[in-house]
Amino acid sequence: MDLAIPTLLVASAIAFAAPLIFAAMGELISEKAGVINIQLDGMMLAGAFTGTWAALASGSLLVGFVGAAAGGAAVAAIHGTLCLGLKADQVVSGVVLNILILGLTTFGIGAVFASDMGNAAPTLKPLPIPLLSDIPVIGRALFTQTPTVYLALLTVPAVWWLINRTTVGLALQAAGEAPGSARSMGIRVGRLRWAALIACGALAGIGGGQLVLAGLGTFTQNVTAGRGFIALAAVVFGRWRPVGALVAVLLFTTVEAVQVRAQVLGIELPYQFLVMAPYVATLVALTLFTGRSRPPRALGSND
Amino acid sequence: MTASGLAGAARGLAFSAGALLLALATAGLLLAAAGQDPVVSFQGMVETAFGSTYAIGNTIMKALPRLLPALGIALALRAGLWNIGAEGQIYVGAAACTAVALFGPLLPFPLGAGLALVAAMAAGAAWAAVPGVLRAYRGISEVITTLMLVYVAIQLTNWLIEGPWLVENSTWPATPMVPEAFRLPRIWPGTLVNAGVVVALFAAVLTGLIVTRTTFGLWIRAVGGNERASAVIGLPRRRLIVAALAASGAFAGLAGGVEVLGIRGRLLEGFSPGYGFEAIAIALLGRLNPAGIVAAALLFGALDAGAAGLQVASAGISSAIAPVIQALAVAYLLAGLGGARLIARRREARSALARAGAGDRG
Repeated sequence: MDLAIPTLLVASAIAFAAPLIFAAMGELISEKAGVINIQLDGMMLAGAFTGTWAALASGSLLVGFVGAAAGGAAVAAIHGTLCLGLKADQVVSGVVLNILILGLTTFGIGAVFASDMGNAAPTLKPLPIPLLSDIPVIGRALFTQTPTVYLALLTVPAVWWLINRTTVGLALQAAGEAPGSARSMGIRVGRLRWAALIACGALAGIGGGQLVLAGLGTFTQNVTAGRGFIALAAVVFGRWRPVGALVAVLLFTTVEAVQVRAQVLGIELPYQFLVMAPYVATLVALTLFTGRSRPPRALGSND
Repeated sequence: MTASGLAGAARGLAFSAGALLLALATAGLLLAAAGQDPVVSFQGMVETAFGSTYAIGNTIMKALPRLLPALGIALALRAGLWNIGAEGQIYVGAAACTAVALFGPLLPFPLGAGLALVAAMAAGAAWAAVPGVLRAYRGISEVITTLMLVYVAIQLTNWLIEGPWLVENSTWPATPMVPEAFRLPRIWPGTLVNAGVVVALFAAVLTGLIVTRTTFGLWIRAVGGNERASAVIGLPRRRLIVAALAASGAFAGLAGGVEVLGIRGRLLEGFSPGYGFEAIAIALLGRLNPAGIVAAALLFGALDAGAAGLQVASAGISSAIAPVIQALAVAYLLAGLGGARLIARRREARSALARAGAGDRG
C-alpha cells in the first residue's frame, strides 16, 4: 500500500488542528470557570487580524503571535466588562461580539492593510524534530510541523494539569459548578472568571494568528470561516475534558483533510456532508452522552 | 397601558436611542481614523437609505428578513429560551418554500404562495423543534444545539442548490426561478416593496397578541419566569418548551420563504448573510416588544441599505461599517442596562441599610 496519502492526510489533519486546539483549550478553561464564549470565532478572527498586523509592522513572528494573543484577549475583555462587570447575558454578548469583530476586521482590511496589499506577513516554517522526523510515515506527519503545532499539542496536557492537579484549577471548577459555595469558601469567583476568560481570549487569538502566520501570511475577510464554532463544538463533543476536546478536534480535522482531498481519494459523497459532519457528530454525541456528561452547572449564569 | 408601563417603555426607548447615538459617534471616529469625512459618509448613508421613495422601499425590504426572525427570537425568550439558530431556520424555510414552488402543483396566487409560505414555516418550526425536544426531554442546553444546527442547515441547503436543484449556466449557485404565480406581488409602485410586508406586519401584531392575550402566551411567560413554579402548578412544561422553540423557528422559516418568493425569486446560495444572528440583536434592541422590534429592524435595514451608499460617498471604505454600528448599538445598550441595574441595586442596598440603621436608633 502506498503510504504517501495517509501520511499527507495525518500531517494536514494535525496542521489544521492547531488553531482549533488553541481555541478549544481556551474555551475549556473559560467554560470550567462558568463563562461561555459564543464569540470564540470572533476572538480567533481578532487574533488573526492583530497578529497579521503586528507581524507585518515588526517583521517578527514572535511579535505577531503576541499581537494575536492581545487581539483575542481584547475581545475577551469586552465580554468580561459586559458580562462579568455589568452582568449582561453571556449569549447576547457573544453573538453581538461576533458581528462586531467580523465587521471591524472587514472594515480594517481596507484601512490597515491597504498599503500592504500583496505584501504578506512573514510565515512560520516547519521545524522538523531531529531523529523523530526520520521515522517513516509518522515522522513526516507528526514531527515536521511548525513550532506552534507542537505548542498547541503541549497545551492539552498543560490545561489538563492546570484543571485537575492545581489548587487554581480546583477553584476554577468550583467557580463554574457552584459559585455561591465557592464564594463562601473564600474563593474569589469574579477574579478567577476574569483570569480564565482573558486566558481563553489569548489562546483563541493565538489560534487565529496561527491560521495566518503559519498559512498564507495575509489576512482575508472572515479568514476563520467559522472555525471558532467548530472549536466550541469540540469542547462539547469532548465532554469538557482536555483530551476529549483534542480527540474531537483531530476527528473533525481528519474529516476536513479528507474533504480537501476528496477528489484524489475518489470519494463520491458531496463535500457539504463532510463539512457538516462535526456539527452533526456533536449533536449526536450530546444526545447520547446525556446523563453521563454535562456542562459546568453555572455555565453562562451571572451568579 | 398604565402610566408606569408607559414610563417604562419611554425609558427603554431612551436607552436604545442613546446606545444608537453612541454607536454612530464611535463609527464616526472609526471613519475619521480611516481618513474619511464622517459627515460626508453619513450623508451618503442617509441619502441611500431614505433619499427617495425607492430608497425607503429598499430600506423596508432590507428590514423584512431581520424582522421576522427577531419576532420569533423574542417569543422564545419570553419562555426563557435562546433560539440563536434562526439563521439555520431561515435557510431550511427558504428550501422548503422553494421545493413547494418548484415541484408542487402549479396553484394560482395566492393559494400556491400561501402553501409555499406555510411549508417554510413548517420547516423552520421542525428545525427548531429538535433543540426544543432535546432541551425539554433530555435537558440539553438549546444554546449549543440551535447554533450547531445552523451549520447543518446551511450545508444541507448548499447541497440542494449545488446538487439536485442546480440551474445550468448560472454565475452563482442557484435553483431555477420559481413560477411567476408563486411570486409575492409588489404593492407600492416605484419601489421593491412586496406583499411580504403585509405578512410581516401581521406577524408582528400576532406575536404581540400571542404573548399578551392568549393562554399559550401566559403559559410560556410562566415557564420563562420560573420553570420550577410552572411545573408545580401543573403546566405541560416540556411541551411548552418544544412549542415555544417551534413557534420561534416558524417565524424564521417564514423569513426565508418571504425572501425567496418576494425578493430573489429562487433559492440562492448564501442569500442570508447572517440575518438570523442580527435578529438576536434586533430582538434585544427592540426590548422584546413587537413595536420596538419593528423599529429596530427598520434601523438595521436602513444601515444595511445605507452602507451601499457609503461605498460611493467615501471610496475605499468597506460597507462593513454597517454591522459595526449595529453591533456597537447593542453592546452599548447591554452596558447601559447593566450599569443601570447595578446602580439601582446599590441604591436599594443603601436605603435598606439606612432603614436598618434608623430602626436600630429607634
